[in-house]
Amino acid sequence: MAAPPRHATMLSISNGDKPAQTQAQSQQGTLPQSPGLRVPSNRKTIYDRHLNRSRNAESSRASFAFLFGEMVTYAQRRVTGIQDLEKRLNEQGYPLGLRLLDLLFYRSTSTSSSALSSSSTSSSPPNRPLRIITLLHLIHGPLWRLLFGRAADALEHSVSPDTPNEYMITDNDPLVNTYISVPREMSMLNCAAFVAGIIEGVCDGCGFETKVSAHNQPTDLWPSRTVFLVRFGDAVMEREKVLERSGVK
Amino acid sequence: MYNLEFENTIMFLNYTIALSDLGTLSNMGVFSLIIINKAGGLIYQREFQAGLRKLSTNDYLVLAGTFHGVHAITRSITPKIPSVQPPSPATSSPSTTTPAASHSYPNPGVPVTGLDYLETDKFRLTCFQTLTGTKFLLFTDPLTGNVDTIVQKIYELYADFVMKNPFYQIEMPVRCEAFDRHLGAWLRGRT
Amino acid sequence: MALSLRNPTLINRDQHKMSYYFTILSPTDTPLFNIAFGTSKGGGDGIARFRFPETAQYMNQFIIHSSLDILEEAQWTNGSMYLKHIDTYPPAAAYITAFLTPSGARFLLLHQPPHLPSSTGSSGLGASSLLGSAGSTTRASSSSIAANPTSPQTEEAVRQFMNEVYENYVKTAMNPFYKQGMEIKSPVFRTRVTAAGKKWL
Repeated sequence: MAAPPRHATMLSISNGDKPAQTQAQSQQGTLPQSPGLRVPSNRKTIYDRHLNRSRNAESSRASFAFLFGEMVTYAQRRVTGIQDLEKRLNEQGYPLGLRLLDLLFYRSTSTSSSALSSSSTSSSPPNRPLRIITLLHLIHGPLWRLLFGRAADALEHSVSPDTPNEYMITDNDPLVNTYISVPREMSMLNCAAFVAGIIEGVCDGCGFETKVSAHNQPTDLWPSRTVFLVRFGDAVMEREKVLERSGVK
Repeated sequence: MYNLEFENTIMFLNYTIALSDLGTLSNMGVFSLIIINKAGGLIYQREFQAGLRKLSTNDYLVLAGTFHGVHAITRSITPKIPSVQPPSPATSSPSTTTPAASHSYPNPGVPVTGLDYLETDKFRLTCFQTLTGTKFLLFTDPLTGNVDTIVQKIYELYADFVMKNPFYQIEMPVRCEAFDRHLGAWLRGRT
Repeated sequence: MALSLRNPTLINRDQHKMSYYFTILSPTDTPLFNIAFGTSKGGGDGIARFRFPETAQYMNQFIIHSSLDILEEAQWTNGSMYLKHIDTYPPAAAYITAFLTPSGARFLLLHQPPHLPSSTGSSGLGASSLLGSAGSTTRASSSSIAANPTSPQTEEAVRQFMNEVYENYVKTAMNPFYKQGMEIKSPVFRTRVTAAGKKWL
């Protein structure tokens, strides 16, 4: 058991309404689930901070570029090949997608000028996406705006009858690739695999089992144009049919 | 060794003279760019004008090394001037006082940089050294104004598209397609 | 069922006092957080008094988990995050209200009104008649928010509670040391949920 004085200082709960009680508890050691809770010196835990800080608290593009550069370098350690590297980048993005989903909905419910364009009524909270199209619109618009400050450039459905489960989201100039030049011997690599992981996390979080991959589709005007190929699982497609029949929007 | 250095210097001058031949052809004034790392190795070389006389890759490497040496020499031979001191009997005998105490650079607050630019009537070579010792050599038309702005912009592009690229290894040759692209586009846009 | 008749005096003393059991389940049904509390409205002291205190600890979880099938059905027909009252477990007069986060975490609130003298007699009968009797009790005491699990006022109070918990849940999820599906151990989170319960329920 930790020494009481140290414990007592660490366990200061920022809410402040019951300091005496928590102190008493900590001295008896009755809070075993929080042995190492440390409160910052200004006594502001993450629970005391606001989640709506997007307006004037944007992070610097340069610091993001350096951070992302290091993430790519980190992912590159001991990889067996380009696919392995893309998989690692994807895995780095995936948990971010899960988190962003909750944050995105929180921000659009709390701010009446809703960030979700689909909801016409400003005050009512947005709906969870139930159908593929709603989900893809959520990614194409609000999610892209939350991450990159603008909507994605295109959203398409596969024209091939063999692959009705494939959708494509296009970004003409992905922010993550702005400063990246991929060496010629790795020309298949697209570091936006990280963003693909984010999309995958968002889809999975909403209950749409998906595989997302990022592909280079350069044009003369947009040399780093990237297409995110979203492939939904069979279970999702089956459910989609059921929902369509029962008229769920 | 000294002889070789000397030959290299001759070749270096030859190259610059070759550049000067087409000074009047230029419509934008920027002939070529060379980047040298802090160890004197050539890490980037690019021409922006058609018709420049080509050197072999090896010659470019020698050229970079030579300039690196020349630059180091110019830095070490930066003359010091006698300090402005109140006249006193002690200064009358220079042998007793150490030179360091009585001589200093004209502007002691500014670090000694070495060669900044080299100008002929046909071209101008501007050298910009970053804090980490990387040197940018820009060959321009002598009539081109605002060369410092151009060098600053090139440095900015280098900081963005080379240093932020996870696939670039520091001090190694620059092979960044985005850097080439943006550099070319920006210089073209300037005309 | 025999348990319910054992100490009617205790139950009668706590008349009109709702008891709550709140739990957060991960998308794969792992419990992430549990808390039991009582109403703080109408002079309530915020302490849970379930009908069957001996078994409540297990029964509440059991009842909540048994409503998951209904929840998963409702999940794909109703796109709201707040799904309102989704299930009732008549033998314990337990009402389940659900809230779904977009990332699939389920917030489930079980509320159990106290025994009323009028309904104790019928507790041994079939489920349908119990449901009826529960309905009659709600009608009888509809003036009090805390005593009526299905009234619009209660729904609204629970919505506020859920939204407040959701805000704190998002903050938890944004913690870089928290991974989706991990148990929420933060004492600050627990304090916040307790405070939300005190404020709205």
